[in-house]
Amino acid sequence: MKEKNTPIYNLLTLFSLLALTIFSDSCSKTPIREKTVVPPDTTHTVSYANGIFVVNEGNFNWANASVTFIDNSSNTLIQDIFRKSNNRILGDVAESMKIADNLGYLVINNSNRIEVVSLADFKSVSTINGLDSPRFLEIVDSTKAYVTNLRSDVSIINLKTNTVSGSIKTNGWTENLIRYNKYMLVTSIGMFSDPSAQRRAQILVIDTQTDAIVDSIQTGKEPIGLVIDKKQKVWVLCSGGYDNFEAPSLIRINPELRMIEKTFTFADPTLVPSRLCINPTGDTMYFLRNGVCRMPVSAAALPSQPMIGPEGRLLYGLAIHPSTGHIYVSDAKDYVQNGTVYQYDTYGTLVKSYTAGRIPGSFCFTKSSNK
Amino acid sequence: MTRVHISFILFLIAISIAGMVHVVRAQNLTDTLRLKEFEVKSNYSTDNSCFKRVKIDSVILINHQNTDLSNILSQYSAIFIKSYGNGGLATPSFRGTTAQHTQVEWNGINLNSPMLGQVDLSQIPVSQFDGLEILYGSAGIARTSGAFGGVINLVTNPDWNNRLNILAMQSLASFSTFTSNVNVAAGSSSFQSHTKFNYSSATNDFPYYNDYLKETIHQQNASFALFGMSEELFWKLKDRHLFSLKVRYNQNDQNLPPTVTDYNLDHLEKQNTKDLFAVLEYKLVGKKYNLVVKSAFADQRMQYRLDSSINAVHQYYQWISKVRFSYNGIRGLSIRPGIDFTYDQVISDDYDGMKTRSTTSFFTEVNYMAGQRVKTSLVIREDLIDAKFLPIVPALGVEYFPWKNQDLSFSVNLARNYRYPTLNDLFWTVSGNPDLKPETNYSVEGGFTLYHKSNDRKFRFDLTLTGYYSWIYNMITWSPASGNSNLWQPENIDQIHARGLEAGLNFNWKVLNFDLSLDNNFNFCHSTYQKASSAYDQKIGKQLIYIPVNTLNSTFSAARWKFYLNYNFCYVSDRYTAKDNLSVMPGYILSNIILGKNISLRNFILSLQLEIRNLMDLDYQSIANRPMPGRNYAVTLKFSMPKLNRQ
Repeated sequence: MKEKNTPIYNLLTLFSLLALTIFSDSCSKTPIREKTVVPPDTTHTVSYANGIFVVNEGNFNWANASVTFIDNSSNTLIQDIFRKSNNRILGDVAESMKIADNLGYLVINNSNRIEVVSLADFKSVSTINGLDSPRFLEIVDSTKAYVTNLRSDVSIINLKTNTVSGSIKTNGWTENLIRYNKYMLVTSIGMFSDPSAQRRAQILVIDTQTDAIVDSIQTGKEPIGLVIDKKQKVWVLCSGGYDNFEAPSLIRINPELRMIEKTFTFADPTLVPSRLCINPTGDTMYFLRNGVCRMPVSAAALPSQPMIGPEGRLLYGLAIHPSTGHIYVSDAKDYVQNGTVYQYDTYGTLVKSYTAGRIPGSFCFTKSSNK
Repeated sequence: MTRVHISFILFLIAISIAGMVHVVRAQNLTDTLRLKEFEVKSNYSTDNSCFKRVKIDSVILINHQNTDLSNILSQYSAIFIKSYGNGGLATPSFRGTTAQHTQVEWNGINLNSPMLGQVDLSQIPVSQFDGLEILYGSAGIARTSGAFGGVINLVTNPDWNNRLNILAMQSLASFSTFTSNVNVAAGSSSFQSHTKFNYSSATNDFPYYNDYLKETIHQQNASFALFGMSEELFWKLKDRHLFSLKVRYNQNDQNLPPTVTDYNLDHLEKQNTKDLFAVLEYKLVGKKYNLVVKSAFADQRMQYRLDSSINAVHQYYQWISKVRFSYNGIRGLSIRPGIDFTYDQVISDDYDGMKTRSTTSFFTEVNYMAGQRVKTSLVIREDLIDAKFLPIVPALGVEYFPWKNQDLSFSVNLARNYRYPTLNDLFWTVSGNPDLKPETNYSVEGGFTLYHKSNDRKFRFDLTLTGYYSWIYNMITWSPASGNSNLWQPENIDQIHARGLEAGLNFNWKVLNFDLSLDNNFNFCHSTYQKASSAYDQKIGKQLIYIPVNTLNSTFSAARWKFYLNYNFCYVSDRYTAKDNLSVMPGYILSNIILGKNISLRNFILSLQLEIRNLMDLDYQSIANRPMPGRNYAVTLKFSMPKLNRQ
């Protein structure tokens, strides 16, 4: 078959030009990764000595958890500080954060680990693996901590080696922890796979010297809040069950006698309370229920109205400043965009608002944070 | 062959495909085939071309027998496919809508799960269908209500000329991916049997750079094994009656990989799915009418496991009956009334007891051709769900041909559509919301199509341009309940406004015995949130998450000396990962190349095909924190007997 030369050359030229444009277009070697539209500020150096960490949960299975820092010293706001200091993402669903001994412990629920960071520069110093959907961490002493898990027992952490050194067998999901003398009180919700009717809701009393459960106190279904007041009485907030098994309740317990002293039952079962907190002087409790509700520990009844109304917001996280007593509450909006944190004084007057990350859920205050 | 016989074959193809061909792409040394619309006087008209329907050439399917539907759509159509990776969940996003707004049908059976309302396109191997047609937007109303984005129609057809045809294919690809297909078609001029087996497995342990560990590691827990088989029987009696029975069984065992942060693999997620579909159909062909009666059964069992803590089984059954009558007795007019009946039954570990739903759909299609230039089409659908009537779903389209040869056409259509909630939306334990209203969609679309062929038939091009506006009200989105932020419930809270432009431009040029073609699809879609769900919601006017504003895919093909070369590249623009559009997955370009040779031996053809995917070895992610493979390869050997002209 005889072919003419010119059309072939034309064809080859056309083909090479096409190939060239295509090749040059896609020659970029920058990895394609999620990024913020406004690039983060990398020049600003921050001290994490005085401020508030806002722990943004992120969406389940999206691995977009982050930490926002409200810096009281310089009056600035820094987003995504973990990535800024460590050049990698934090993980999937950051549930809570605890500070001890100039270290920050970030509990990453769906990544099944705890990131340990130095508070000097928020750089990762260690990672604690071997957890099963961890929720909250509480310090026992300088060598030991307990971590509650959604799917199995309470894990015992060796703080010197940053490893799981043992576990305390529980009946499934454990949530909150507080210290009471030499004991650790832990809310135990029951097996995650069971419906509310079969879950045994109780508070476990754990002897921190022996790591053994010495007693339990039965509570209302799904106890998800635990605080201790100035009179050394323990308050438990029960949601009533994810399936609305019973009405939500607030229970006061005498931890010495390990007995329930008083039960307040919420009238409207469709409004479920959450995020039980107490002020620094231990005389006033706060929780979220269609807004921020305030209840003095000496009150005879549950508050009938919220102190701060929702005002169209989806209020998700709540914390009380351990020095000023100011109320920090977060608006998660529609859960798929940046949230906002609002700071109110003890009278309920708005002080300031801060932009946070995706689903701001919990807060952690530095020792010297004031203002 | 008698004239009646030819007409009957054409009729069967027309009935199966049910639409006019707008775009045809040729890739190998094949005759370019363009089915002309049928004139009413043939008695077998299948008009209704006032809406946009695009058929993917079966030759493209032939070269991609070792892959699945999601790859075909992402490379050759304007639909954006949101994919979790090789063998992972792949769902379509059509005209700025979500996966639940696109319906996928196989031989008239809806493949969307009645529970979730969507289909995993990666579980539909290309070997399981012969023809692929895409109905855009309101074109889908002729088949179903609720598919606001459109309908993807998969069909299998008999070839009455076939006596014995065997096809065996073995493909070996990177990451220990094996794909095997065996198809046997046998029969006579009045009876055909098609038997197909397909098996595909992969360890899928591709290397990728893990930003968390700052090193390259292998993907874990991403292996899968997919097995399918189908048997189809066709029986033609006196050229008046056609019976067919089609049965398909699929089984997929998948391991679900974690995000990049969970390299530890403390928790293993697995899913296995078993489906069975069966369709029995009878067609009666008369002089001025035809009748189709279809009865089908579909069932799927899905089991999801997370270590030993979660083990959930979901099972659904569907019984479907469809009757369609078509009357073409009056010149220029065709009337096609029909009734569809579906009964869904679901038994799920996450529902409180067994749930059922009955859906009856009454519809009619009236197509009228006024003279030689103007065509109109009206479709009206009325759904009755569990004894409650939904509002009427109407669609009206007009097409105008200014030229006699109909190479240029302008069309306009508008429609109103409803989508009722899925069974998960209604009945999921604790969260299910039985008070959900159906979603409403108003859409308007306009466009034109232009063909051109040079006089010596060596050069061809076709151009399609379509613009659309679509509004969705009361869109169902799962979000935290107002009184309890830990309880997620579906609610009619969103409102979407989508507007876009779809352009298709295809060239075909035969020169010096080279068969060259260049096919392009460009898509612009601006789909935004229009309703706030809380007081300080920042998403109003922002692009929907994971829907790109611009996509472009182009394929260059050349064939000569029985070799063929395809170069395909896809460009996807940025996709936002936040509803306030403050975080984004950057856009990227992916390219693939295929080189193949057909070796003609005495009675059979041997095909050898080499593929390089992600040619530029791009380190990319499509969904945040889900790794994707770099450059990878596939080798395919195909044996087909007897030698067919179209190979």
